[in-house]
Amino acid sequence: MAVGSVATATAASLLLLFLLLPVGELVVQGGAGGLERLAGDAELQQALALTAWTASLATLIGVALGTPLAWILSRRKFPGRTIVTAALDLPLVIPHPVAGIALLLVLGRESAIGGMLAQGGYGIVSSPLGIILAMLFVSAPLYVSGAREAMARVDRRYESVAQTLGDTPWQAFRRVTLPLASRGLLASAVVMWARAVSEFGAIVILVHHPRTVSVLSYDRFTTYGLTEVIPVAAALVILALLPLVALRALRRGEGDRT
Amino acid sequence: MIEVTGLRAAAGEFRLRDVTFTVPTGAWGVVIGPAGSGKTTLLEAIAGVVTPLGGRVAIDARDVTWAPVNGRAVGLVYQHAYLFPHLPVRENVSYGAGNPAVVEEVIDALAIRSLGERHVASLSGGERQLVALARALAQEPRVLLLDEPFSALDPKRRGVTRRVVRDWHRTHGTTVLQVTHDFAEAGLLGDVTVLLDGGTVLQAGSSAEVFRRPATPYVAEFLGAENVLAGAVVGEAAVEGVPRAVEFHSGALSIVAISDTPTGPCHAVIRGEEVILSRDPQASSARNHFAGTVTDVALYGAYARVTVDVQGVPLVAMLTLPSLRDLALEPGGEVHASFKAFAVHLC
Repeated sequence: MAVGSVATATAASLLLLFLLLPVGELVVQGGAGGLERLAGDAELQQALALTAWTASLATLIGVALGTPLAWILSRRKFPGRTIVTAALDLPLVIPHPVAGIALLLVLGRESAIGGMLAQGGYGIVSSPLGIILAMLFVSAPLYVSGAREAMARVDRRYESVAQTLGDTPWQAFRRVTLPLASRGLLASAVVMWARAVSEFGAIVILVHHPRTVSVLSYDRFTTYGLTEVIPVAAALVILALLPLVALRALRRGEGDRT
Repeated sequence: MIEVTGLRAAAGEFRLRDVTFTVPTGAWGVVIGPAGSGKTTLLEAIAGVVTPLGGRVAIDARDVTWAPVNGRAVGLVYQHAYLFPHLPVRENVSYGAGNPAVVEEVIDALAIRSLGERHVASLSGGERQLVALARALAQEPRVLLLDEPFSALDPKRRGVTRRVVRDWHRTHGTTVLQVTHDFAEAGLLGDVTVLLDGGTVLQAGSSAEVFRRPATPYVAEFLGAENVLAGAVVGEAAVEGVPRAVEFHSGALSIVAISDTPTGPCHAVIRGEEVILSRDPQASSARNHFAGTVTDVALYGAYARVTVDVQGVPLVAMLTLPSLRDLALEPGGEVHASFKAFAVHLC
């Protein structure tokens, strides 16, 4: 084997080991205990349920609002498109506690929007709504970015042909582009959901209670130490594997039809 | 009818500039031009897929320049078919079709019934083109825009499909505009020919006019004219009783042509099939007779391209293979070439 190949294999193996070892160790040490804990720990069950439904709702909102935006970015040329695209990536690059602070400025009780929502009975801080908005803020750009790429991969001439066959632009999108990009859109939604589930920084600034799994893990670590948090963290890792497996399956089929 | 007037459009960096031509109702128009000349962009601008920058597009006397794509009654078939990959063949064909009976008629006419439930990913390139044609015909468009629609078909299927589409065009009165690289196809199908290069129309008109009377030497060469001779009209030809007879000189060659071209530099275009070769000098009605030497014989399918050196000027004649055999022409052999004054086009 050439020296270059050995070096490449070694470098790849080192990184893989670094990435997998901590997660593997966590599952080995706490996997069985985590599942047992899940059966008898009401607080953990509530945190998991809260995390799951808030992340799901944030993803639904992200898909509903992000799909038209992704279509515009993939199909339309307009002044400032590059700036809009760059701005969409901003939540991904700023530290997430900073994202939480930014959200607090706009949605906190002292802000105009937050004040109005609180008066209407929709408190942001310390409510599931705050968790949903924090998740949406940090994870929706992932969906929009993925959806934009999925739609860009569908040749626009399919839409053109559909329109010459009598479709309006909306019908052509619904009947042709959407089905052809569906795997990519679904994969992007899974990525968004997974990112929302794992969010900690923005949530803990905006909403400490009720607690999502990530916040609960942190609290137990700081309150009871490492031994107590390992089963909780292991349960979270095992659950997080589900969307990742789904994502791989979707990506295997992606591109078959375009 | 398709009327395009002063059309300007952009596709990326490419520009269509001041494109003007008309394809009458029920006629078959052909757009020919080199790769990258804007042929597909032109079809897309007529279909409304590409938004024009200016000018006018009218379909059956209705201004559709700014009309939505689905409001033009225009069918568009791309060279690469663009069948919807998530739908089986039959659903592709019936997509947009208003009359199920027409769908069945088209499927039978193009002999694609056996493909019905197949997934488009399993189709060959030729089969895809047939399905794309069927899909466009099934919606019974007033105007059909075809972008090299027969290019992936084998020769036998191509001939059959041309006839089917030609019959459909006649019986339904559909106006057709087809992009092709194939001059034979253009001559065979086209009532109107539009020659496009670099986003501009070099010449447009009836196919007979464009092929017989190219506007410039470039057009003549592009359209495959075998003899494009640079020279000059030197004056009236000494042909008694023939009005408009002029004498054209190219090198040592003196040619009689019938033309209104004034004295001065120009080009003479003589198509190879107009040049008659014989072993011996023969009395005929042709005004141009030359003795020469065969310099090259090249075979092109059922035809032979024979180059004859006539007083230092190469003259090309197109012959059938039986004629070539009868004359037993070989490089170095003596031969006589003749063509009528009417066969010479000056431009």
